[in-house]
Amino acid sequence: MFTTGSKLFIGASALALAGTLIYSATQDSGAIGTLGLVSATIVLVFLMGINFWVRDSNVSSMDTPGIVACSAAHPAPGRSMWPMVAGLGSALVPVGLIVGKTITWIAVIVLMIATVEWMVQSWSERASSDAAYNAGIRKRILHPMELPVLGAIGLGMMIFSFSRIMLHLPSAAGAIVFGGIAATVLLFGALIAAKRQVGRSLVATLCAIGAVGLIGAGVASAVAGGRHIAKHELAQRTDSVDNCTGNESEADSHSSRAIAGKANLAGLIVLQGDKLYAEVIGINGRQDTLTLPRSTDSFFEFKNLDSGKHRLVADLGHEVVDPGTDKERKVPLILCTQAVGEGGKQFIVIKPPRPTSADQQYFFEVPGIDSKLKIEVP
Amino acid sequence: MTNLRTRYRRSALSAAAVGALTLLAGCAKDAPQDTFQPAGENAREINNLQRPPFMIAGVVLVIVIGVVFLCVIKFRDRGQVIPKQTHGKPALEIALTIIPALILIGIGIPTVKTLFDLAKTSDTQCVVNVTGQQWWWEYDYPVQPGCLPGGITQPIVTANQMVIPAGQHVLLRITSRDVIHSFWIPKLNGKRDAVPGRVHTLRMQADQPGMYLGQCTEFCGLSHAYMRMEAVALDAPGFSAWVTNQLAAYTPPPAGTPAADGEAVFLANCSRCHQVNGIAGSDGKPVIARPDLWVYSGATPNLTNLMTRTTFAGASFDLLTPDCRAKLVDAKSADFTALYLKGVEANCLDAVQLREWLRNPPGKKPMYTDATKLGPTNGKTRGMPNLGLSENQIDQIIAYLAERK
Ligand code: HEC
Ligand SMILES: [Cu+2]
Repeated sequence: MFTTGSKLFIGASALALAGTLIYSATQDSGAIGTLGLVSATIVLVFLMGINFWVRDSNVSSMDTPGIVACSAAHPAPGRSMWPMVAGLGSALVPVGLIVGKTITWIAVIVLMIATVEWMVQSWSERASSDAAYNAGIRKRILHPMELPVLGAIGLGMMIFSFSRIMLHLPSAAGAIVFGGIAATVLLFGALIAAKRQVGRSLVATLCAIGAVGLIGAGVASAVAGGRHIAKHELAQRTDSVDNCTGNESEADSHSSRAIAGKANLAGLIVLQGDKLYAEVIGINGRQDTLTLPRSTDSFFEFKNLDSGKHRLVADLGHEVVDPGTDKERKVPLILCTQAVGEGGKQFIVIKPPRPTSADQQYFFEVPGIDSKLKIEVP
Repeated sequence: MTNLRTRYRRSALSAAAVGALTLLAGCAKDAPQDTFQPAGENAREINNLQRPPFMIAGVVLVIVIGVVFLCVIKFRDRGQVIPKQTHGKPALEIALTIIPALILIGIGIPTVKTLFDLAKTSDTQCVVNVTGQQWWWEYDYPVQPGCLPGGITQPIVTANQMVIPAGQHVLLRITSRDVIHSFWIPKLNGKRDAVPGRVHTLRMQADQPGMYLGQCTEFCGLSHAYMRMEAVALDAPGFSAWVTNQLAAYTPPPAGTPAADGEAVFLANCSRCHQVNGIAGSDGKPVIARPDLWVYSGATPNLTNLMTRTTFAGASFDLLTPDCRAKLVDAKSADFTALYLKGVEANCLDAVQLREWLRNPPGKKPMYTDATKLGPTNGKTRGMPNLGLSENQIDQIIAYLAERK
């Protein structure tokens, strides 16, 4: 009986031999060609001989136990989802090429994953005749890649769903809902821990229901959109001098944001009884002059103890812009806080660029109030 | 084998040498930054706090090492049978828990008390604002009722040497213009970080007039090592005289002198960065420096009274010749104030250092001034750039600066 491998080589050798004969008969010059074809024939005949001799290095067809234990013979390959995934990837490629880059990328990634998984799976299924061992080596190779990716995807889904749900719920309800969820998880955990005999499949089912519920709610919330989140104005404005007047503006009605810097301030500035004064660590009593280092951020808290809304304004003189050109002009350097009502606090940072001098004087003031606080910058 | 032994012996020798050097360094007689030689109540309080724990720790060390040696010698392996092994001895264990706990409580109570004492600000008599930047310290004296009998009515700004009235409870309000620095005059108090945007307070009190050295103790970049400070304590009349002098009106140098030429060179080359209070341009208008446009930190040392301080560029270089410097530093506290108030006199001026500085500042003290590498700071330098002055200009500037007293 000829084996499969030797049949191939018998054919190939016969072809080479025929080729050699035809070549040498039809071409009169061409020692190299003849030489090549003769060599090929010899090699092929030799390979045919070997294959025939070792019977394709196969176990003897008479050797039944050998055939049973042969790695290629057993076990039959299991079902695999990767051909389907690969098909999906291939189908997505043209869709992506028409619709857009993102889909193409997804398709390519899906194809790559399918290729690697499919390759490793089919290789491992043939690794030995022991199915458990085969599954083991598949895991050993692929789990270090699969688990982090699956974990990241799972975590990402969870975070995405949680955040969409939180953004969708009213801010007060969020705390209640998630407190409830946490309590439920804790309760189930405790129950399962207490009742050891709870079946694995029951736990798995519960987890699956939870996961589906979470993702479903997340997607639904994402589709429904987030709640309205009020925008807070900055505590301090430098954009326009017009904002630093006694008039209240839209921003002042949301001046809920009180104070950011709580400690290590350069000083506290108080409006009380139509008088503006400063309190500074180390200097006793109420100050009507403040000395600040130049070119340095100095942080102050402004406290309004009078009735009515007031804002603190820092008047740091002016800056000459485009000096020496015909566009030369003076731009006032003015900063202010939002207006706050009685008891309100605001926060202001100033950084005077130049020292004070006879014609450059700096002040803290409150629009509509006469009292001024002098700023000295040496 | 021999090789190994020589190597072992050599490393043991070098370890011993390092240890001995460290020990000897501790014995330096003239250590100007020695926290164990307090010269003011705050440093004294710290020193008093750390002494007893040191002693207790010493005793504990002797006991522990003694017991270890005893065990090593008495129970060493002489081939005897291994004795019966026991585990746990509650009485001993409880004792060994309670004794350290008591020691720690004994250390903890005075520590907490000292912490609160050193944080106190209510007894302040004089406030100084301290601002760190790469790589020098600025001191300004805010308008306040304290420091002097009549208070300070006009703010003062100076650099490198912080002048304080001896005996008074001075409160420093420390901040920074760029990165974190740390202020430490070991003989007068512990250290405090200078952090941009924050004002940290630090008490300062010197018993006697004198000079107390320190240096920046938070790594702050290239010239951190050149960022020193000197606290100068003067007696009350001396401090008053110093304040008066700092606020004195500017007198331009008489026309035709080298100093007058120096003023012109200064106006042309230096005034954009350095303030000299009262200096006026050729149009008679006061000239206000704008270091914020040229220097990353936004500040440069005010040079109005440069020669009233005896060091420059982060208190790293002397304006005094070594002789005059030694005389000042070693002066008895009774003589110190008068000597310091003389400032840098003509016969004491060490123009060599100043000349080197003006010739090439980044050569004298490493600073970021390479114009091609100032991208990250928007073209602003950190430190003073080389201005390419001629020797003649340098002579004139030194003549001018020598009069800034
Ligand atoms: C680009 C800004 C700039 C210019 C221009 C400039 N300097 Fe400076 N100068 C500095 C800075 C920054 C320092 C602080 C350097 C340090 O100590 O780290 C300094 C320090 C000094 C000091 C040491 C002062 C002290 O008390 O520590 C002197 C003296 C000095 N400059 C003189 C001059 C003279 C004279 C000129 C003009 C020829 C000049 N500078 C031009 C930025 C400038
Ligand atoms: Cu520093």
